[in-house]
Amino acid sequence: MGRMRTMDDFSRPLEYLTPLGETVGEIIRAWVEREVIPWRRGFDEDYLEHRLIEPPMRKLLGEYGIQRILFPEDLGGWGLGHSDHLCVAAFHMFEEIARADSGMAVAFGVVFWPLVLICCEPHVNRRLCEEFAPMFTGTADAVFSCMAMTEPQGGADIENIELIRGSTIRTTAVLEGDEWVINGHKLWPTNTGGEADLMAVVCTTNPGSSDLDDIAIIFVPGDAPGVTQGPPYEKAGMAADKNGDIWFENVRVPSWYRALGPGDDAKYYGEVVALGNMGSIAFAVGVMLDIYERLRDFVERKRYRGLPLKENDAVAGVLADYAATLEAVRILGYQCARMCDRQDLYGPRWGREVVAKARAHRSFAVDRALEAIGRVMNLMECYGADRDWDVEKHWRDIKMVQLWLGGKQLNQMEVARWFFECQTL
Amino acid sequence: MHDLDLFHLPRNRLQEADLALASGLREMLDREVAAKRLELKEDFEGLLEPALARMLCEMGLQRMMWPEELGGEGHELHLAPYTVAAALEQVGRADVGLAVAASGTLSLQALLVGGEGCEVLRERLSSLFLDTSRPLLVSFVLPVFGEEGDGPGWGGRRLQVEAERTGEGWRLRGSGVRPLPGGLDAGLFAALCAVRGEDEPALVIFPGDAPGLRKGPELKKTGLAAARSAEMNLEDLMVPEDACAGRGAAALGRLLSWYRLGLTAAASGALLAAYEIIAEWGDNRVIKGQGRIFKNNPLTAAVMGEAAQETAVVRLLTYDLAEMLSELEKRGEAGSERLEAYSLLVAHQAYAAGERTLHRIMELMASAGYAKEWQLERYWRDLKTVQCHLGCVELARHALARWFFGSEGL
Repeated sequence: MGRMRTMDDFSRPLEYLTPLGETVGEIIRAWVEREVIPWRRGFDEDYLEHRLIEPPMRKLLGEYGIQRILFPEDLGGWGLGHSDHLCVAAFHMFEEIARADSGMAVAFGVVFWPLVLICCEPHVNRRLCEEFAPMFTGTADAVFSCMAMTEPQGGADIENIELIRGSTIRTTAVLEGDEWVINGHKLWPTNTGGEADLMAVVCTTNPGSSDLDDIAIIFVPGDAPGVTQGPPYEKAGMAADKNGDIWFENVRVPSWYRALGPGDDAKYYGEVVALGNMGSIAFAVGVMLDIYERLRDFVERKRYRGLPLKENDAVAGVLADYAATLEAVRILGYQCARMCDRQDLYGPRWGREVVAKARAHRSFAVDRALEAIGRVMNLMECYGADRDWDVEKHWRDIKMVQLWLGGKQLNQMEVARWFFECQTL
Repeated sequence: MHDLDLFHLPRNRLQEADLALASGLREMLDREVAAKRLELKEDFEGLLEPALARMLCEMGLQRMMWPEELGGEGHELHLAPYTVAAALEQVGRADVGLAVAASGTLSLQALLVGGEGCEVLRERLSSLFLDTSRPLLVSFVLPVFGEEGDGPGWGGRRLQVEAERTGEGWRLRGSGVRPLPGGLDAGLFAALCAVRGEDEPALVIFPGDAPGLRKGPELKKTGLAAARSAEMNLEDLMVPEDACAGRGAAALGRLLSWYRLGLTAAASGALLAAYEIIAEWGDNRVIKGQGRIFKNNPLTAAVMGEAAQETAVVRLLTYDLAEMLSELEKRGEAGSERLEAYSLLVAHQAYAAGERTLHRIMELMASAGYAKEWQLERYWRDLKTVQCHLGCVELARHALARWFFGSEGL
């Protein structure tokens, strides 16, 4: 009899992988097994305090030092901002963490999300790297950053830069001397609810304007005077991902805290969107890999008409569909990551084409993942809704991945607009 | 408030009393549950248990069908399905878990009141149903997937409890028994038991505080906070000979067809609640910056239309199942394979539609749909939890294939 199949038998495009990415993946897998999986069933009740969640995050980000990877080597980082394997490596890390807890994977991923704007080629902002690198490299504590985009009045519209062009942004940035003065209210950023140490805030320098030069992404330290973070929201799942309100009241930061400058902030915001979609697929894949393992255990142990469940033809049909979905979604996700890495072949990752395709990939992947996981829960009958089998937690958690970044309908519009060249959507 | 009568309600089949009960429940639940929801969330002791007491005891659901000569309200069994549908739809609109809990109580009432040979048991249990000082929750112990080396099976699954006839009644044994949601707080259980030395299982009723019954701590699950779950062990639990409410598929089918009616009504209520939430959202939220409100945008309006379509169909199915139960009672065909197939079909259809619709509405509301503050996500979790407990849909379809196509050996 051959080796028993495991989640590692689901395909990845091996030609995209790198030794560094694989090594970090192994480190994360060991961390997940030891530090996260044994405790994750208590995470839902820990959404407010993060007493269970913060210690492993501290170990991964701070003690292992992974929070420094994007910064240049001479500033204490690993220089991955220069790599054309960054996205594939990130995808692997995200799926390994999401296998244990997708909320934790989100919190992890968002640490790097705003830093992409200043650490990645070809738009490195060396002065801001020098400014913020010590924050991430000089400590064994976890440092959390966030991307503050959504606002109360507009919801998804802030993320809809292609159509709305920033005209609905109400968080204002006014240049007074050599300082930005920021006022406004943001909702929902990951790593807030009191967690955020560094924020990238999407502002307008000219309220109501649809000139892309007027969109400013400005870095704000979490402890800057005038910044108030509300408590974390209570949600259906994703307890490890704290979200809350942030209020900015006459918050002053140096003028050079603007990420890249007029025009470029809006331009490279597309990269933030593309990478957010790529990461979302990795979260779905990680969740599906873990469910595969749990499901396999279930259908081998549980019996129907005297045989293991997996030997029933009708059940096997569901198992086959699950495996096919995971296989396809994983390959799609790695392809999306590689597309984001190989800008020489696929175009810039902030460009309309890559952004639209990343949205399409994420939309397909997460929709299919949710359907497949929902069927698995039903197949498991009463155990499907049981916390002790972990599947229901993943189902609750991964729903959020479908809803963010502007939500499903915005995603559909962006995809249709690019592929069908719609003119009036 | 949006008009729920937009969704067809077969008023001609409902009695004035049904409409009054539904209206009273709605008013009470709006006041006692919905108005306190933001503060008390899913607090069982603070919010949900008092609501169970109000609806089961004060508003009379737990004695509704009980014979007048025994002190009940004597609601006629052939009219009761409509009453159950109208009442539990309103309960489900407030909280699916409350409706699930009430479904257990109502379906056992129907079985005991209408069941031949249940007279002694009915009389013995009267005090529990008529006691207005505490709500009587009823949970069921049904066959589940077994594991290697497990005891007797039935219909492909493991019977969780073994019953043995003794000179003093039934002796019940079972370990790691998982009743349906509501088991933690149930005052009565109906368990389909393997009978030692016999092929046909027995539906045995036993009290929640019987000596020999040990319940574990609350099991965490996806939803249904009002119907708390627990594992339990039965160690030589003794009940009288008359505790058997029926045998085999006929007894179970009769019980479950009423239970599924309650569950389907709960799904209908949840969809009506979701309709109200998304209707308000669609009236007020703007899409595309200075563009149209949601209900006037072609894409989001199409999704809202789909939600309305599913809601309307589930409501029709609910009352269709009520009609079938009502007329079968007249014809004395309760427990038939036809009813078993149809009630299974309707319940699965309602929960598939419910899950699909709640997904779509959450997608419209994006992150807000996921936040507890907006009240939508609870229905999504609750409906999914019930759907899991309805059983694996692929295996349920075998029952439909048997009925509709005469399939054998599945």
